[in-house]
Formats: sequence, structure tokens, C-alpha cells
Amino acid sequence: MNTKPFPSGLSENAVMITRVADRQWHALDDDLVVGRGHAQHRPDGRLFVSIDAWHDAPFDRLAEAMLAHLPTPLYTVVDEADVELTGRWRRAGFTVRRREWEYVVPADPRVTGLEAVLPPSGVTIVPAGQADESLLRAVDRAIRDEVEATVGWQSMPAEVIPRPEGDTIVAPSTYAVAAAPDRYLGLIRVVRVKRPRIGLVAVRAGEQRRGIARALLAHALGTLHRSGSAAAWTEVHESNHAASALFEGIGARPMSSNLELVR
Amino acid sequence: MTKNKNVIEVEGKVVECLRSAMFTVELENGHQVLAHISGKIRKNYIKIVLEDRVLVELPPYDLTRGRIVFRYRN
Repeated sequence: MNTKPFPSGLSENAVMITRVADRQWHALDDDLVVGRGHAQHRPDGRLFVSIDAWHDAPFDRLAEAMLAHLPTPLYTVVDEADVELTGRWRRAGFTVRRREWEYVVPADPRVTGLEAVLPPSGVTIVPAGQADESLLRAVDRAIRDEVEATVGWQSMPAEVIPRPEGDTIVAPSTYAVAAAPDRYLGLIRVVRVKRPRIGLVAVRAGEQRRGIARALLAHALGTLHRSGSAAAWTEVHESNHAASALFEGIGARPMSSNLELVR
Repeated sequence: MTKNKNVIEVEGKVVECLRSAMFTVELENGHQVLAHISGKIRKNYIKIVLEDRVLVELPPYDLTRGRIVFRYRN
């Protein structure tokens, strides 16, 4: 811990920046904490920072101190509607790296139009909790490798769940899958903590454009609807036009957007 | 209400989600504040929705504003 203060450069009421832990900073004004900065590694290894301050001066001083001591690249996430915070990060030299739309996805089949949607011939949907774990891990690994070989997971909406080293499936029971007789072709992960969230829907590259993703969504949303949920939410990277079309085609509405900034 | 290192923290419930990345939170004492999500929980993709129970940090000089620093599970 380094408690040596960094002078802010202001005259009276100077904001003092103190590093209170390896990745935590405080902005002090007359011993009053007027801002806090924090840095944290994501499971993908990237370093994300945040600053909470009520005014511009402590924010700027915290950013100055943190950026001087942390390695680059540094990332942060802001709600695009929060113009003030976005402006503060831009002032600190951060630029927009990507935008993720947050969609609210209706669950009612009468709204989604998915009531009569069935998987293609030879494909069955295995409900969440009933998937064979080894086949599930195999399809997950195959799809992740396919994505990594093209756009890469860093262009996907953030995966922030801490996982054991080398393991990408934390809770197998949250996955429903599309199954062929010999292997799984696609998967959907729905987490139900308060508001249901579709965390992932994906199909093997060679099996896309057959309606498997729609069938997985029809199954997952139908299950949510029958259990009393009116909607789920999900995030889609703005450049993922296929995913946007898939969700907007079933009545999903973009409600907000997150910006990932980088410096 | 808790005080820690000059920070005032109060529990409350989200009663309105506003379009400007802000929320109206009704505090335990019945007062309402306009609150935004702290950067620390935003970078962990924690979502705030209507009726969430939250912990709100208030600035000592303006008790009409707030910052959501924690969302309770239930």
C-alpha cells in the first residue's frame, strides 16, 4: 500500500490523491473522501478501471494518478446515456472501442411469433439441466474456437464471470442445446437471477442459417413465458448484424447501450 | 444509515428507471434521490431494475443525489 499523497495542483481546497491499496485510490478534500478509483482484471485478462467522483476535479486528479501507475491498455464501461461520465473519460484520453446494445426480449410467443417454430429436421432441443455435459463442453469449445479464429471473443459482449482456468462453462444446468444424433449443434444459456438474461446463443459455423438459433430462442423464451417471465434481456455487439436481426425479428427492443472505452 | 470514512450510505428501493442512465431511489426514510450506478459495479455488468433493493451513497453536501454502490440479491 502506498499512502503517499499526490498533490493535485489546485490552489486552496487542493484535492489530494492517495493510493490506499494496490489498485485503489482515494481523492481527499480536507480529509473528506470525494472520489474513489478502482482497477480490476477481467477473466479475459484485460484491466478495467472505474472512478466514482461527484465533481470533475477529483475525477480528473484520480484519472491522472491512476493512469500514471497502471499499464496500458486500460478499459472502462459507461452507459452511453451518461454523457457527463463519458465526457470525463474522453478528457482522460479514452476513446470508444465498441458499443453493445441492451435488448429487452419479449417471452410471450404471441409477441415473438415463435409459437410454431420447430428445430430443423434431425435436430432436437434438449432442455436446460438435461444436456450431456461432455457433449455440451465439446460444442462450447468448438464454437469458441470458431469465434476466436474469426472476430475473436474480445469483440463479443463482455464475459465477466470468473471461471476455473481453461473452463468456459461454469453452470452446465443453465444451457439448453440443439442436438443431432451424434453431437450438439448449438447452445443457449439463460441465467435467471431476478430478470432473466440470455447470456449466449450460438450455433456451430457449419450449421448456421438452418433456423437452429431461432429454435433455441423459441424453446428458451417459451420456457420463461410458461414460468411467468414476461421478458428477458441480452446484449448484442453493434457490429453483429445477424444477432441484431435475430432479436429484432422476434420483437426485441434496444433499451440502452454500453460503451467500452480504451486508452 | 451507515457512515464510513465520511461516506453516507443508505438502503433504498428503485422506484423509477429514467432514460438518462439515472434512477429514482426511495430511501428507508421515505425521501427520494436521483441516483446513478457507480462505475465499480457498472464494470461488473451488474444490472439495476425496478424494485431492486440497493445501497446508495450520498454526497455530504447534496442529499438529493446519490450513487448506487451495491445491489442486494433480494
